[in-house]
Amino acid sequence: MEVATEVGSLVLRVYLLRSLWTALYTQNLAPLNLPLHSMITYATVALLMSLILEVDGTRLIREKLREGTIATDLMKPISVPFYFFSDGIGQTGLHAVLVIPSLLFSLLLVRIDVPRPEVIGAFLLSFALGYCVNFFLNFLMNSIAFWTLETFAIQLIVRWVSDLLSGQVIPLTLFPGLLGRLVFALPFAAIYSTPLLIYVGVIAPAQWAGAFAMQIVWLTLFAGLSTLVWRAGSRRVVIQGG
Amino acid sequence: MLAAYLQYWRINVLTMLEYRANFIMWFAFSIVYHGVAIGALFVTMRAFPSMNGWSFREMFFLYALWMTGHELHNTLFFNVVSVPEYVREGRFDRFLVRPLDTLFQVLTVPSQTMPDSLILAIVTLCVATGVAGVHVDAPYVLAVIAVVAGGALIDLGISLVVATISFWFVRVDTLRWVVMSLEQDFTRYPISIYTRGVRVVLAFIFPFAFMNYFPATYFLGKTETGLHLDPAVGLLTPLIGLAWFAVSYAFWRVGLRRYQGTGS
Repeated sequence: MEVATEVGSLVLRVYLLRSLWTALYTQNLAPLNLPLHSMITYATVALLMSLILEVDGTRLIREKLREGTIATDLMKPISVPFYFFSDGIGQTGLHAVLVIPSLLFSLLLVRIDVPRPEVIGAFLLSFALGYCVNFFLNFLMNSIAFWTLETFAIQLIVRWVSDLLSGQVIPLTLFPGLLGRLVFALPFAAIYSTPLLIYVGVIAPAQWAGAFAMQIVWLTLFAGLSTLVWRAGSRRVVIQGG
Repeated sequence: MLAAYLQYWRINVLTMLEYRANFIMWFAFSIVYHGVAIGALFVTMRAFPSMNGWSFREMFFLYALWMTGHELHNTLFFNVVSVPEYVREGRFDRFLVRPLDTLFQVLTVPSQTMPDSLILAIVTLCVATGVAGVHVDAPYVLAVIAVVAGGALIDLGISLVVATISFWFVRVDTLRWVVMSLEQDFTRYPISIYTRGVRVVLAFIFPFAFMNYFPATYFLGKTETGLHLDPAVGLLTPLIGLAWFAVSYAFWRVGLRRYQGTGS
């Protein structure tokens, strides 16, 4: 029943995006670099990606901190952050299975462009980088629980802002002028926007290297920050005695 | 019953004072939640100025109308959403043996609810009314209040149906979440962008179109309803709300009679 609800809701959303963009493109001047079929491809692939990216593998941190069981985890001879990462991958894998039925049902409603194999390869690489950036963003948000246990509201706020600024809701290319330059400069763009714009060809092969580099910069920064926060946080746990 | 209800709000206020940081955080969340939706609409409509003849200003009004009804529901009736949780944990059985109406008891479980988001919604609606250039007079104010109240009842009906389903299928968290987010997504745009079947569903089966689309069409003086109806049907929202609530309440009663608990 859970699976049916999730797939069903995704298909309804695909229907919605088709209606929305079709209506907008028939009555307005289309942007030059994003014709209707690219826009529909973009939005559909973004939805399928969200099946994977909306899994918060690091939620465990918050729960374990609340219940105090983190103390026993810290005693075990393993890297605890790595344990969370593996757990996240496992949950993601489970959700990734949903992509297949969702894609098949979506194809009844919309046509998705299939780019050349090397573009798909670049997309997948970029998606993997984006997945890691997203993981560390979640990790940082959940680590706030080391200091204050009420983190759920903060986390939802970041998630909502991130959905808009990462290009999940609308392509960042639609943001005008200065605002547009700003959203591309933020780390959120590395999560959805970069892989998606590679997929629809707005980021041309010549610019791939630059796009990957940017994602790697954010990834390194977030991973570094997570390490620092984790060290400071776990020292506090020791002081509190769990 | 009124005394019990007042006591409920007193406890809510006291809880809010106790957990002030938490209250502020959730209020900030409300602002971001609606801000992101309106922001996305603004950016989209800067690139594409017309959506089936609706401008950004009109779409903003459409959103604000839905938002106010929805937040009125969240303020007064949000606990209905927790029913599946009560059922799962066995706490629901308690309501059944007490002498007050079950639904009333559900609605008055102390819950840290405050009317902050509702106030935010009312302010947004006032701004949107000005931005969209709606002519404001006494009949408009009365009509808009009736529409918002009707909208909250439509919302309540939906929550009540989902809650009742949990009597049979214990785990309905995903369903609840999906229904809530689909409601927000599908009410954001004029229903004329959808195919005919979906328009009919949104107008007559799950009557979300009455929460904002039909009334907004009427208030903005538009002529096209997408279903060959007179725009004045927008004024029927309170009646539709009552009818929809009555039906869902009957369903809830049937559910109560069949309710067996989970044994937990």
